[in-house]
Amino acid sequence: MSRRIAIVEDDAAIRENVADTLRRQGYEPTPYADRKTALAAFRSRLPDLAIVDIGLGDEVDGGFTLVRELRALSETVPIIFLTARDSDLDLVSGLRLGADDYLTKTISMPHLLARLAALFRRVEVLRSPPKNEEAVERGPLRLDLKRMTATWRGGPIDLTLTEFWMVHALVKYPGHVKSRDQLMSEANLVVDDGTITSHIKRIRKKFVGADPAFDAIDTVYGMGYRWVEGPGAA
Amino acid sequence: MSAEHAEAGAGAAASAPARPRMGLSIRTRGLLVSLVLLAIPFVGYGYVREVERVLKAAQEQAVTAQARAVATALHDRPKLLDRRFDRVEGSAVYPRGTTVAATQEIELIVRGLRRSGSRIWVIDQDRRLLVLEGSLRQDPRREPDEAADLWDRIQRAVLGPLFALLLDRPREDFDDALPEAVISGGRAVDNALTGVPSTRWRETADRRAVVLAAAHPVWNGTEVVGAVVVEETTNRVLSLRNRAFEQLLTTTLAVFVLGALTLFFFTRSLSRRLARLRDEAEQAIDARGRIRRAFRAERDRDEIGDLSRSFGTVLDRLAEYNDYLERMAARLSHELRTPIAVVSSSLDNLRTGPSAPGAQVYIQRAEEGVRRLNALLTRMSEARRLAETLKGTERERFDLGRVVSGCVAGYVAAFPQQRFDLRLPERRIELDGAPDLIAQLLDKLVDNARDFSAPGEPIEIAVDAEWDWARLAVSNVGPLLPEAMASQVFDSMVSLRPPAPNGEGARAKAEPPIAPKSAEPHLGLGLFIVRLIAEFHGGTATARNRADRRGVVVEVRIPVA
Repeated sequence: MSRRIAIVEDDAAIRENVADTLRRQGYEPTPYADRKTALAAFRSRLPDLAIVDIGLGDEVDGGFTLVRELRALSETVPIIFLTARDSDLDLVSGLRLGADDYLTKTISMPHLLARLAALFRRVEVLRSPPKNEEAVERGPLRLDLKRMTATWRGGPIDLTLTEFWMVHALVKYPGHVKSRDQLMSEANLVVDDGTITSHIKRIRKKFVGADPAFDAIDTVYGMGYRWVEGPGAA
Repeated sequence: MSAEHAEAGAGAAASAPARPRMGLSIRTRGLLVSLVLLAIPFVGYGYVREVERVLKAAQEQAVTAQARAVATALHDRPKLLDRRFDRVEGSAVYPRGTTVAATQEIELIVRGLRRSGSRIWVIDQDRRLLVLEGSLRQDPRREPDEAADLWDRIQRAVLGPLFALLLDRPREDFDDALPEAVISGGRAVDNALTGVPSTRWRETADRRAVVLAAAHPVWNGTEVVGAVVVEETTNRVLSLRNRAFEQLLTTTLAVFVLGALTLFFFTRSLSRRLARLRDEAEQAIDARGRIRRAFRAERDRDEIGDLSRSFGTVLDRLAEYNDYLERMAARLSHELRTPIAVVSSSLDNLRTGPSAPGAQVYIQRAEEGVRRLNALLTRMSEARRLAETLKGTERERFDLGRVVSGCVAGYVAAFPQQRFDLRLPERRIELDGAPDLIAQLLDKLVDNARDFSAPGEPIEIAVDAEWDWARLAVSNVGPLLPEAMASQVFDSMVSLRPPAPNGEGARAKAEPPIAPKSAEPHLGLGLFIVRLIAEFHGGTATARNRADRRGVVVEVRIPVA
């Protein structure tokens, strides 16, 4: 059974291009041009994944509204924002609404496909009972590579896909400095330095939220970031 | 005022046209206008003169009336002025025909009609003095009744010398002798003895006072038997006039001083407000023409307040427009993203789908173009994203030296062909701000230096502190800045120097989205970002040619925490 992916995008060319790409990969894309038709369709049948633009026609924040409504319908369906807006504010709002990832439209199709695959894999693994686990453990941190979830001192840290990949890139070789460029390619991101900084900030915040003493991500000015093990090692 | 003016003018950059030299200031003009008030004393003086004339006429009439009254009392009294007898009594020589008794009676009459301050004498037809009664001197008792109240005394103390200078005071120490010539040859007497009443002004012998004499004939039937002469000095009129003049002068002086002071303070407040308005207007826009801060408009509801408010409105509009221009790049990049996404997603599809042989080359080239466009857009929106970031940035204390040395270690690794000379201070330089932003600032400075650096020459990075300021300077050997434009390099979209022609090899940046240097446009946004970050830290950024004129140094100064 092919997976159904809803594309809510007001620009016809992009909508069709993404749909074509997905179709070629064996997905079953269902394009919608505006919020109302998309929502109506979601009500009758949930998609397996939704790609949503923020600005939808006349509705400047139509995508935000739609994602809120979709999250009300389903807690689990993966949602990706694909938008031209690249401000931190939009990014944070989007992720807070429950989107799994936030991508700017400059992302290439292969990158987009990689993300889709990863998200589906995560959903898949979450559904099936845990069997052969593939995990990375670094002190109190545990990354489940199959489910793409992270726990710190046993408690779950709610990371987005991008953030998970970044943390993974950092902890793969603890103590090694990862430059921003490296982090970007590991996370399949095409953004600028400033965005990496804000991603790192958000990751830190999430860990600090779970453990105020968290100090494992160290900034090496001008170089990048590294994962330091043990408390107070920074 | 002119000094601060000159300073402000110098600060306002050489591009501003030279300010025309100021003529009379408003304050001076106000004072000049108040001089018009000085006309009042002169008008008053004329008026007092007129009053004096009227008083003199009145005195003349009064004196004449008195002479007439005395003469009337003596009319048709042949006994009193009998011409037939001469009498000598003791040493006094009594006129002929006038008896002691007659003389005494005349004296009685005269004394009864005399006014204080007047002197009356009676002569007979032969110009013999029959009676001389009274004194020309004023009664001294009248003087001290004035100067009673304090105001008068103050006025007298302050203005006394001035009055003494301006007015001739009537004096009572004149020679009041009756000159023989007046009796024998005075025209008034002559007229009176021929039957015509007349008056005459004469000076006393010592010229200290003016005496008014009125002569009236004494008739016996149709025959003139003598004459009555009433004399008075003009002192009373003079002192009246003086008083009037003093009061007038005092009042007008007070009015003048009050008026001038009022006008002075009024014009001073005007010129102060105008000066403040000027300063506000000058400071609202900096040397580069950017709106520096909000214009504080006045609230007064008058013309200056109105001017100030309209200045404020103009500057607000200008600020909005500037803002619009600065946001332009960001908005442009946002608007361009969607069509670029269309192109790139189409290319992606084209590549994976079936295509004509040889099409792959063109697809690759198109993708390369799109990638460059993307990089461009990312840079364009970087400034705006930074501005957004700055709003929410949390400050912390950090060591500038540590951040810079970390960054430079990164550059050394990233650009092996480029030499970096780093000079760090021995002690810590603590700043209050965001180390990430300082790293970004240094990135931009180094990017800029590398763009223009001559091959084989090191980029010098220096950190030091003087007083309360930390200084971060990045200097490179290469093309110089045009002198006049030095302040503009920190503006958005301004690029002045042609990149070094050889620099292409040096540019081997690891950032994947950035194309090789040859393909990368120079947008002039890097130094704009430097400026934003420097200003966020309360500092400034300046660019100038090096002292050895071999290159350029860009310097950022930030206050130490």
